[in-house]
Amino acid sequence: MPPLPLANALEVTVSIAADVLVFLGIVVITLGVVGAYRLPDVYTQLHATGKAVFLGVIAFLVASLAAGDAAIAARAALIAGFLILTTPVGAHVIARAAFVRGEPMRTPGALDESGAGLDESGAGLDAPDGKPVEEEPPDRG
Amino acid sequence: MIHEVVFYAASVWVAGLIIACAVLVLRARSAASRIVALDMLVLLVIALLVLWSDAEGVPYFLDAALLLALLAFMGTLAAARFHGGGRLF
Repeated sequence: MPPLPLANALEVTVSIAADVLVFLGIVVITLGVVGAYRLPDVYTQLHATGKAVFLGVIAFLVASLAAGDAAIAARAALIAGFLILTTPVGAHVIARAAFVRGEPMRTPGALDESGAGLDESGAGLDAPDGKPVEEEPPDRG
Repeated sequence: MIHEVVFYAASVWVAGLIIACAVLVLRARSAASRIVALDMLVLLVIALLVLWSDAEGVPYFLDAALLLALLAFMGTLAAARFHGGGRLF
């Protein structure tokens, strides 16, 4: 007995959608790696890697649902959920560490809006000694 | 048929990106930049494992990917905290 035409069309559509998602993920991941190469400082590199590469992996995981295998779907959902939870935390911790160590902001026109370095009495992790500011801090009267 | 070709081609491309990312780890300007590149490297390995499990139709590669995601998060957290504060906790 041949398969129903409607079911066949659905199967083909899902397969093509998976291929398109893989292609999209490849494009996004490649953009992330290119961004990590081209962007001048850590803070902007985090934009490229933290979003792009992670979204590419999510696209791959969604594409893997097309196989219709429950074992693959469950694991894919676990990985996607874990990455959604941990990627922002990791990016935040890296950016904070870079800022605390006084990593310079090399992006043209970058402005440190944290106010660090304005108050000399501040001590501890949240008030680094080295100013990561290259431009003059704004006058806050 | 087309499906497998797409997945294998994507695997090869991601493998090339992993090599590029490894070069970036070696050439990074600062320690924080290196941590970022290492984090991205592990994410790329996860992507390769996901693609490979798809192409082969085997779910077990995803176990490795999940474990790698967990370890990468802990490693990034430890490295970044050590870099920022000089201690882990």
